[in-house]
Amino acid sequence: MIARPASLLLGLAFLSAPVAAQDQAAVIAIPPLTTPDEKDTGAGSPGAIAWQASQLIASDLRTTAELVPVGPDQKDYYSYPEVTAPTFSRWRAKGAKFVLTGFVRSRPDGRLTVGCYVYDTVKGTELGRTGFVVAPDEWRRAAHKCSGIAYTAATGAPGGFDTRIAYVAESGPVSNHVKRVAIMDSDGNNQSFVTAGDTIVLTPRLSPKAEMLAFVSYVGGQAQVRIANLGSGEQRPLVQTGAMSFAPRFSPDGKRIAFSMQAGANTDVYVADSNGGAPQRLTAAPGIDTDPSFSPDGSKIAFESDRSGTQQLYVMNADGSGQRRISFGGGWYAAPVWSPDGEWIAFARRIPGAGSRIGIVKPDGSGEKLLTDAAFDEGPSWAASSHELLFQRTGPDGRPALYKITLAGGDARRVATPQDASDPDWSGALD
Amino acid sequence: MRRALLLLALVGTAASAQLPGLRKRDPVPPPPLVLGIDALRGEFVAQSGSAMVYFGGDSAVLTPQAKATLAAQAQWLRRHPELVVRIEGHADPSDTRDHALAVGARRAEEVRDYLVLLGVPAAQLSTVSWGKEHVAVMGTAPEALALNRRAVTILVR
Repeated sequence: MIARPASLLLGLAFLSAPVAAQDQAAVIAIPPLTTPDEKDTGAGSPGAIAWQASQLIASDLRTTAELVPVGPDQKDYYSYPEVTAPTFSRWRAKGAKFVLTGFVRSRPDGRLTVGCYVYDTVKGTELGRTGFVVAPDEWRRAAHKCSGIAYTAATGAPGGFDTRIAYVAESGPVSNHVKRVAIMDSDGNNQSFVTAGDTIVLTPRLSPKAEMLAFVSYVGGQAQVRIANLGSGEQRPLVQTGAMSFAPRFSPDGKRIAFSMQAGANTDVYVADSNGGAPQRLTAAPGIDTDPSFSPDGSKIAFESDRSGTQQLYVMNADGSGQRRISFGGGWYAAPVWSPDGEWIAFARRIPGAGSRIGIVKPDGSGEKLLTDAAFDEGPSWAASSHELLFQRTGPDGRPALYKITLAGGDARRVATPQDASDPDWSGALD
Repeated sequence: MRRALLLLALVGTAASAQLPGLRKRDPVPPPPLVLGIDALRGEFVAQSGSAMVYFGGDSAVLTPQAKATLAAQAQWLRRHPELVVRIEGHADPSDTRDHALAVGARRAEEVRDYLVLLGVPAAQLSTVSWGKEHVAVMGTAPEALALNRRAVTILVR
């Protein structure tokens, strides 16, 4: 009953601005997922879970720039057999280009089957489907996967809804922070801490499937890269050396880690096996070479160097050969991160003494575009879709928070975290 | 001279506790032969002018003022080869996270090298960079940022 006034309001909004909606985003109808039974699962009846899952799918898709979800509305329930035979004309008439249907069904073993289907309402064809068997309390992951097939059907890009975000949770006074590595689902659920807060930690970086975490810790008295196994909780230093090491990032296959190590006044980029072993030095120029980031095929590394006198972006082959500068826009450039589709390198462009902004540039140095206009933005990290960036914005009071921005532009949107948050890292889609 | 006076004062305190008629239940601890680390830190700062030197934006170059401070620090440190000393480098909060770490390290190394040049034994000195993790002065005004671009000479023990 409560859903009706809301859907009426949504309907009016589309009537008043149909052109803008069609130009920028496609409408996808989300009728409620249905269920053939009403047995209680312990985490709620299949019907209750189906309703919550439908709301979560709509909420996921509402965060995208490409899709405008309509629903779920209680009056749009399908019967179980109708899930694979929706009435396309009805959704076309409502302006929806796509419709997502699905079901939640309890199994004899106590788990749930969740299935979703995405259709093109104009052509009347199925664009994708997905099915999962999950424990009743893991229905959120299945719903995120449903959002993912809808997003992929509409955009061709991977959906990043079943993903995790690692970041540094900050508490206490700004001058003397307590910093802890934290991990959450990308929708803000399942918050957990990896470190206890007894020492400063920086720049957590997830392995591609979020099984391992590389981060920087002062536990040994100075900054050093450590590797945590998120399953077992085990931690160890990446390299056995007294030198300062920092700025770790996994290769796309998770087998290697590129990072920086300091020797005297010089800092260079190294690569090491993520299971240990001797690091291999990739850069040798005098100056600060840091923030390495692999291309998605693992063949190249973007990094930052001040060898020219100011911080600039460079690209090299993964063995260290062929180093060339790609930033020429004037000013200082930092923290390059290669997009998962390989098309862009995100960066923070520094305005010395006045902070920095987030932008993107093609790997050959063309097409530079600044995306944010606040004074203190840094630490960009890509969505699995390559259509969106997560980053850190520091307010005038010195307190950091996480924000997202789409490549299409528009305003950055705050990502809610229980505490102040910095150094975000967004995983790829999980298996 | 100052240290000698402090020692005299301590000896005087100990002696006054020995006056007849003042019976003690516990034995008097022997007077310290050297100053405690807190007193040494105070003396170090007083005689060097400052434990801190400051840098220009994104720079680890020692200014004439920084060199004068370090010369005074070196003079004092040469008389205290028994002390363990750590140089801590910092960057201002407008720097990006990882570059700040490297710049802080560069500043600490520059100070260490200059102290060694002036005769302080290298074995006595270690360095650490805190990047932008320990902000000394809040705010984004140029003056506030400048006060964060620093290296601090810390007497550890």
